[in-house]
Amino acid sequence: MKYRVKTALLGAALGLGTLLTVPLASAQESIYAPNLSYRTGPFAATGIPLMNGQRDYIMMLNERDGGVNGVKIDFDECETGYSTEKGVECYEKTKSKAVVTQPWSTGITLQVLPKTNVDKIPILAPGYGFSPMSDGKVFQWAFNPPASYWDGASMMLNYISEGDLDSLKGKKVALLHLDHPFGKEPIPLFETLAEKHGFEFLPIPVGLKEMQNQSSQWLQVRREKPDFVLMWGWGAMNAGAITEAIKTRYPMDQFIGIWWSGHDGDLQAVGEKGKGYKSISWSVPMNDAPVMADVKKYVVDAGNSLLDKPEDMDTVFYQRGLLISMILVEGIRAAQNEFDTKVVTAEQLRWGLENLKIDDARIAELGMTGMVAPFSTSCADHTGHSGAWMLEWDGTKFVPASDMLTADQSVIKPLEAAKAAEYATANAPWPVNEDCKM
Amino acid sequence: MDVLHKILVAPFIDMAAAPDFLMQVLWEGLVSGVLYALIALGFVLIYKSSRIFNFAQGIMVVFAALTLVGLHEKGVPALLAVPLTLVVMFVLAVAIERVVLRPLVNQPDVILFMATIGITLFLIGFGEMIFGGENKVMITEQLMIPTGAYTFEPFGGFLLIEQKDLTAVVGAGILVLVLLVFLNRSKMGRAIRALGDDHQAALSVGISLSTIWVLVWFIAGIIALATGIVWGARAGVSFALEVIAFKALPVLMLGGLESVTGAIVGGLAIGVLEKLFEIYWGQPLMGGNTETWFAFVFALIILLFRPQGLFGEKIIERV
Repeated sequence: MKYRVKTALLGAALGLGTLLTVPLASAQESIYAPNLSYRTGPFAATGIPLMNGQRDYIMMLNERDGGVNGVKIDFDECETGYSTEKGVECYEKTKSKAVVTQPWSTGITLQVLPKTNVDKIPILAPGYGFSPMSDGKVFQWAFNPPASYWDGASMMLNYISEGDLDSLKGKKVALLHLDHPFGKEPIPLFETLAEKHGFEFLPIPVGLKEMQNQSSQWLQVRREKPDFVLMWGWGAMNAGAITEAIKTRYPMDQFIGIWWSGHDGDLQAVGEKGKGYKSISWSVPMNDAPVMADVKKYVVDAGNSLLDKPEDMDTVFYQRGLLISMILVEGIRAAQNEFDTKVVTAEQLRWGLENLKIDDARIAELGMTGMVAPFSTSCADHTGHSGAWMLEWDGTKFVPASDMLTADQSVIKPLEAAKAAEYATANAPWPVNEDCKM
Repeated sequence: MDVLHKILVAPFIDMAAAPDFLMQVLWEGLVSGVLYALIALGFVLIYKSSRIFNFAQGIMVVFAALTLVGLHEKGVPALLAVPLTLVVMFVLAVAIERVVLRPLVNQPDVILFMATIGITLFLIGFGEMIFGGENKVMITEQLMIPTGAYTFEPFGGFLLIEQKDLTAVVGAGILVLVLLVFLNRSKMGRAIRALGDDHQAALSVGISLSTIWVLVWFIAGIIALATGIVWGARAGVSFALEVIAFKALPVLMLGGLESVTGAIVGGLAIGVLEKLFEIYWGQPLMGGNTETWFAFVFALIILLFRPQGLFGEKIIERV
């Protein structure tokens, strides 16, 4: 009840657009890092745990360390409701002070992308956005570490084929996807790989209004009998799909979702019946990791979290939210060190995000061992292309169900370069960083 | 020639080749249709009595379902949570009449429509404050709604009927029948219809506008709760349920905004036809997801011939 009342009060304040998130002394120097969050609307159930995780990590740093190298982070949320139009409004509203744009939707990312060359504010879209953003030569201001959707798609195919994609020849792989830029994002890679390895690729779109009632899509699954169903679902679409899969009696071990389709809240609706469902994930929940203890001590137990209940810390999405903020903070830290300054600018942060070195030693220092795979970015590679794991729903929670998987960069890199060049041509004149060696 | 074959012949061959699958498609269409009809009924009742297009119907579904689940989470037994939720919906109806509608009596329809958008925004914020935005599990089993399935083997094939879908169809059918009897046989029901027919005449014979408005908003609340339980049992209870209200729009275009019969027939027709079109024409020929537009196109075609909808009232205005 205590948490509910607090959530209600803080939520109301957020709704009014007030800057409540991280208390700051007004005169103090700080780094303004807005988040285009979605705590309301049809996708709120997915957004809330992620936003809570992001916010709590920053709060923990501000409380425990006084920020990053002594400078507090002014973490502000601008509510988009996952609407592209509202997202663009939020971007315009925050850009004068922002050192980063965290768009939180592939649709918003695509809208903001052309503005980055003019406004010179880096976009940080961890694990989402336009996959060719990885090409830093073309997309100088956009970053999607540690893994892109195309990495996710490649790793899913590697998993179902046990590393030999030729073994999929003659098989049928369906992609159940939200009919939205996010859901369509992996299609070019699937089409390329289907042609190369001889499997049939069957996209099955789900409209926004059909998320709760996917009987047509699953009748198609029943008729077409795909060997595997891969899912690019968001929000209520995930629970809707898993409910229909159970009803259709589709084998759960042949049904795999992308990392945004692995939310504890969605699976709780089906409980035991969803046992065996898997989701590829670049993050792994580690409830006993040192960073979790610090977040609990400095934020949750101190009563400053927006979590509904403390147990919600032990979920995939909350902990992924922590990691997303960690990536931002590491970018800020790298920029501070490089430019020997405390309050970094957006341009300096761009350098920081381009020079991330998140190796095993650094992950251990951050108290996050096992939560994320090591990765690094460069001028040419704005993603890092980290590995990921398969998580499996055991009836009550997600548990790791595979060794670390990796994506096939020999297919992804050329496709990224081709699609990035295509984008630059379509949006000409588009500035390209010729100094950047691929 | 090949295209004509794919459009005019192949779908019917597919239907004949797998009759069990066709039966499954028809069943799923019927279930969807009943659900659409249920949402559309909420709109019709309010429009019929007050000429207000209630934009808040979708959020009322969310609010009712969240109240039910929220009360249960607080320890209220499920079967007690249902009447308590109805009490909440009644209080909401009274509040809407007192605070929003009464001050706007005699204002143009568009003002009242805008007021329902205001109600929607208020309920979104209020609901999120009280219940949070997280996904919640509908208390299907606690409400004694069976969750198993019946399987049949017609024509040597396979037909699956979920018990909760069957319960939804039967429950919605009973609700509609009760509503029809109430509207046609009871004094209050006749008063609602009278108000819809002629406001001034109804008021002149002593029908209380405020009482009727509270009543219809409460009935819309009951329908919202029934809709919330049925849809929530499919994919959980969250603010995403709000978007299902848009599925009622083509039903209203087809059936007519003032007709209870139109909402039922329109809902069932759209549910079944959009499913048949999607499975036999949409998916093989257009890449699927035709349900997002089929109902609107179908309703538009009907409107070309009957501008008032299938069961709407033909309005003759003398100049």
